[in-house]
Amino acid sequence: MIEVSNITKSLPDGRKLLDGISFTVRKGEFVGILGASGAGKTLTLRCLNGLLKPDSGSVVVEDQQGSKWDLCTIGKTRLRDLRRRIGIIFQGYHLVQRLTALDNVLLGRLGQISTIRSLFYGFTDKEREEALTALEKVKIGNLANPRVNRLSGGEMQRVAIARAIFQSPGVLLADEPLSNLDPSNAKIIMRMIQPLAQEMPVIGIFHQPEMTAKYCTRVIAIKKGRIIYDGDPRLTTHQLVEIYGEELRQIENAPVLTADATGEINYVNPEDHERNFY
Amino acid sequence: MKNPTIDVLSPAGYRRRATIFLVIALLVAGASAFMGFDPTMLFTEFHYVTDLFNSMSPPNLNMIWHDETIGMAVLETVSMAFLGTLIGGGFAMVLAFLAAENTMPSLPVRLLVRLFLSIDRVIPPLFIILVFVSAVGLGPFAGMLSLVLSTMGTFGQLFREIIENTDPAPADAIYSVGATRAQVIRYVILPQVAPSFTANLFYAFDLNIRVAISLGIFGGGGIGFQIFQAMRLLHYHDALALILLTVVLIVGSEKLSDLLRSRLLNRGSLK
Amino acid sequence: MNEISIKPVRLSLLRRYGRVLLPLAGLSILAQGAAWVCGARWDLFFHGIADSMRFLVHILIPEWDAFTDMLQPALTSVFIALVGTVIGTVFSLVFALLAASNIAPAWLRQATRFLLGLERALPEIIILLFLVAAFGLGPFAGVLALAIGSIGMLGKLIADAIEELDPVSIDAIAAIGASRVQVILFGVIQPIIPSIVSFALFRFEYGIRLSVYLGAVGAGGIGLELYRSFTMLDYGRAATALIVTLILVFLSEWVSNFLRKKIKGGRFQ
Repeated sequence: MIEVSNITKSLPDGRKLLDGISFTVRKGEFVGILGASGAGKTLTLRCLNGLLKPDSGSVVVEDQQGSKWDLCTIGKTRLRDLRRRIGIIFQGYHLVQRLTALDNVLLGRLGQISTIRSLFYGFTDKEREEALTALEKVKIGNLANPRVNRLSGGEMQRVAIARAIFQSPGVLLADEPLSNLDPSNAKIIMRMIQPLAQEMPVIGIFHQPEMTAKYCTRVIAIKKGRIIYDGDPRLTTHQLVEIYGEELRQIENAPVLTADATGEINYVNPEDHERNFY
Repeated sequence: MKNPTIDVLSPAGYRRRATIFLVIALLVAGASAFMGFDPTMLFTEFHYVTDLFNSMSPPNLNMIWHDETIGMAVLETVSMAFLGTLIGGGFAMVLAFLAAENTMPSLPVRLLVRLFLSIDRVIPPLFIILVFVSAVGLGPFAGMLSLVLSTMGTFGQLFREIIENTDPAPADAIYSVGATRAQVIRYVILPQVAPSFTANLFYAFDLNIRVAISLGIFGGGGIGFQIFQAMRLLHYHDALALILLTVVLIVGSEKLSDLLRSRLLNRGSLK
Repeated sequence: MNEISIKPVRLSLLRRYGRVLLPLAGLSILAQGAAWVCGARWDLFFHGIADSMRFLVHILIPEWDAFTDMLQPALTSVFIALVGTVIGTVFSLVFALLAASNIAPAWLRQATRFLLGLERALPEIIILLFLVAAFGLGPFAGVLALAIGSIGMLGKLIADAIEELDPVSIDAIAAIGASRVQVILFGVIQPIIPSIVSFALFRFEYGIRLSVYLGAVGAGGIGLELYRSFTMLDYGRAATALIVTLILVFLSEWVSNFLRKKIKGGRFQ
């Protein structure tokens, strides 16, 4: 569970970047955060990660024993301990290019291994096998050995997800994980993230409302540092315009949604896609 | 770029270039006069060069096969360069990590190390070899120590820049899982800098072979010393043979290190 | 992208450490051998460091009166570098023209490049020894050594720059009916002057250090002063020479940077 209360962050000249952001996400929920560029989505996520300290407010997470901690007020060592409980995947994958996929996945547990052991011994065989299992969960077990700089974008993002799975966090964050991927890969990734919500709260920033409509359980929309919507992921066009601004109306390719958004906005022939993957 | 031909042929361009040439020519003339350097001497006294060439040829290649001190001298030069690169390079790597922003959070430590590296780079190698010779005596040991210092200074700076230029994104991600700085250095930064470091160490070795030869003259031992002796004692045939040997050695070591480097980096055996 | 490698997931101890330990072992064996050849000994080292500490402290007190003596040698060293670099650049330019594929025929280019490579393999100090044996001690040998020594590197750099020229600039000059010489002067050399100056400045900085070094071997200048005072155990004077050398190096770097900025400002065309 992760509980955000009243986060505020201002620029030195007084302008508010984040203004009273509050929400709580529990296990089982897959939250999508939407908003125009610069609205404050990434800032919020960085507060959830402990990377950024807001000017006021609190971010409370649970550790393995169940005790609650406020990321904004704890010290550096405790923060580092708690960051093991927070998994995060990025738009740019953030993998170490010269290492193999397996090694990249293993790095996910560095926070849980003593420094001495990690420097001089590395990872145990058991850990290596678990890492391989994580890779198999994202269906690239056969790509464990090549260096990741030889993998495609979609494969790299799957390695990142495997790394997060291997880390076994208590909450998973995602910073625009689909933005560098083509639509069919985006769907694959979304399909891999969705089931993880059954084990932990998942919060992701997305620029694809059609994706959040289909896969998320809840959508939070941020505009100018404030939450303007928190609820059903299936948004009407009117609501989307509210979130993204008037420009959306003018973009011809804008995703068109109706009240029950089960219609797919696809750039790929659906049957082909289904057959090739699952 | 504007059409340069117009600029060139314009009177203003011509005048400016002419003045610059004139300034340089005057500088050179003044400097030559000051030093007592007479360029015409090159032509009038050129026969000295040809005379010397004649007394040098044919090169006494026999000596190379039969005189065992020559073999030892080659070994000394190579060993000096090898150890100087190994130890100096090792120190350079350590110092680089201590001086780079993303690996050493403490500012005073960084500044101190960078100061040390700057001083090391600026001190004339002549001075360093003289100090070491008076400290540990003539011979390749002094030369090796000099090489350690000079390699450390030059490559410490270079390695630091390489470390600071690594991609911060994966480091960011691994800090996010709760890793310590040491772990991030070992697993994220090290794999990124390892190929560069290795390539540069090979380059350092090539460089150091030449420096080792120069140092030989100031008491550093090795082939440099042999050549110096030969010239001093007017054993010109020997000297030419040794000079040829030097050229072969330098070219050979360059080719060898190129080969080793490409094999090492292509096999990707670096973690 | 279906690469099924045979690398195992479980790591035996050998695999785990082999990549690091084996090269390390090999290197240490080589290092031991090298150390033996060099006559390196720990006791000698520490003893020597202790000794040098003693006189290095002494050396921090330069002999201020000697400063004026250093002026002339310092200037000599600078001028050796200056004249040597200028002459060397001119020589290199000639060779570069012969080594550029868009100017010289293929056989000439290959031969010249080979010669340039050979020259690069000759340490300047050996060139100096040769010239000293031919012409005697003094700045003459120094200037020539610097000039000749720069041909290999400058020649290659300039030749590369020539080869990278857009053929348009050469053709443009030829098209207006210029003679061969004019084409080379204005179509080839003119556009690369900023590069040439940049290379020459770089060589000049290197040349100052070189001139100090070669000075001790016979070219004269402040290097000789440093060497002489040191070997005569006149450490105070040696310290003075050292300080003057440091000043020289800094000044030369500063001047070089200054000139570079002026060129970047496009004042050189």
